Amino acid sequence: MLNLMRLEMKKYHLGSYVKNAVIANLVILGLMFMILFISKIEGDPGLENYEVALSVIDSFVRAVFIIFAATLIAKLIIGEYKFKTITLAFMYPISRKKLIAAKLAIVMLFTFSMIIISNAIITTIFCIVSDRFELIPDVLSNSLIIQHIPSVFMNAIAASGIALIPLYFGMRKYSIPTTIISSIFIVAVTSSNTGNFTLNDIIIIPITLAIIGLGIAYLAIRNVEKVDV
Amino acid sequence: MTYLVKTNQLTKVYDGKEVVSAVNMNVKKGEIYGFLGPNGAGKTTVMKMLTNLTKPTSGDIEIFGEKLSNQSYEILKRMGTIIEYPIFYEKLTAKETLELHCDYMGYYDKKEITHVLNLVKLSNTEDKRVKDFSLGMKQRLGIARAIITKPELLILDEPINGLDPIGIKELRELFKMLCKEYGITIIISSHILGEIEQLADTIGVIKNGRLITEVAMDSISRNQADYIEVIVNDGKKAAFIIESELKIANFKLMDDNSIRIYDSTVSQQSLTRALIEHDVEIEEISKKTSSLEDYFLKLINGGVVHA
Repeated sequence: MLNLMRLEMKKYHLGSYVKNAVIANLVILGLMFMILFISKIEGDPGLENYEVALSVIDSFVRAVFIIFAATLIAKLIIGEYKFKTITLAFMYPISRKKLIAAKLAIVMLFTFSMIIISNAIITTIFCIVSDRFELIPDVLSNSLIIQHIPSVFMNAIAASGIALIPLYFGMRKYSIPTTIISSIFIVAVTSSNTGNFTLNDIIIIPITLAIIGLGIAYLAIRNVEKVDV
Repeated sequence: MTYLVKTNQLTKVYDGKEVVSAVNMNVKKGEIYGFLGPNGAGKTTVMKMLTNLTKPTSGDIEIFGEKLSNQSYEILKRMGTIIEYPIFYEKLTAKETLELHCDYMGYYDKKEITHVLNLVKLSNTEDKRVKDFSLGMKQRLGIARAIITKPELLILDEPINGLDPIGIKELRELFKMLCKEYGITIIISSHILGEIEQLADTIGVIKNGRLITEVAMDSISRNQADYIEVIVNDGKKAAFIIESELKIANFKLMDDNSIRIYDSTVSQQSLTRALIEHDVEIEEISKKTSSLEDYFLKLINGGVVHA
């Protein structure tokens, strides 16, 4: 399985995705400071304290990497069917189920680890800078960070499941645009923040969506041995 | 006799339409099996079923003495294939493509890559990306990929599409060499008769999803005898003379004026002499060969078997 995942990554030069993830991190960081400065100039409380700031960072990161996951799905799975390279993959002496499972595992692991790593990096940089220049009136306490960590993990796990939902839409007509647009739609619904409230805060919603995502992955794997390609 | 590939009443239905119906194919070990048929006859579908890409609606396939099922993955290790047209991960270079293929197939002799690229005459393109390849080069690389793991069975669907005449000749030699020296059994499909004719030991002719006939090449060659055709003013008289004077029974009166003589012992001179002596005017006399092409066109158009 691990070997299969390694081969998949080699096949698609997935290293470049890490580079893109770094760029995405910089953009998120830039946006965070922009929010901070705009709210300062406008005089309304944008990020009044660290608790809000941390949860906004987490929302941003999850949104970005759910869309990233969709591009990965588009490349690793939808694209293989669309460009018929799947016939090649299915002619190897490798179980089709394992092959698809390996691809989905890459998507989930990538999403999960990128969310965690990006959260850590962006939060660290953001907090150092804002602490130094006293951009946020609040003080960053240890207890806040300790509280924040489990919720980041929980959210990352849920997001890795949610990230698989676009697979369903993409597979219907082997369409790459559909895959990515559906992920944007999912992000727009779950991560949009109105008055510090997101749908993601109602714990049952991310959990349900994650289960749906896993269900879709299961369906994709279940029948793969019987279908014609 | 050992058969490497056997299909039994193999049938595939797409949207209620039988694309392949009740095909019983028998491929002997170590032979080149030519799969001949017009476009859309079902060649690719049969080959897809042989490689387990497409699942038969009914009937079954036996390869290497094992029945093909959804879980037959190990068999794929012993096969090399090109189906429809060679498909690649286009961003990879030729070398990476072959390396990746070896990894997936579980074949670890990386030295083979250079060797096999030489075989298909692609030796200086190792580091070129596949997307910059021409169709002919892709075909060659596809063949390189199919043979690199030294499979026991090669399934090649229209492998000579997009190649120039010299390339076709080179590959023909290559296939023959692989079959003779490595003992690889090859199933090769084409709609071009001339190609199959020069390669195959056995030919399977498929039309509208049905395998019309399956014959060994040498038996066709024997059956397709040469004949002398004479066109005369009085066919009946000529026939009488041929029979009584020349003592030939193996001839056929085609119509009032033309006669075909299948007896190979009679020469054109003696025939002409005999006819002229009996006042039969000869308009034309010629030696003809009923070519394989006639044979297969008859089969494909008429669908009647008389091999």
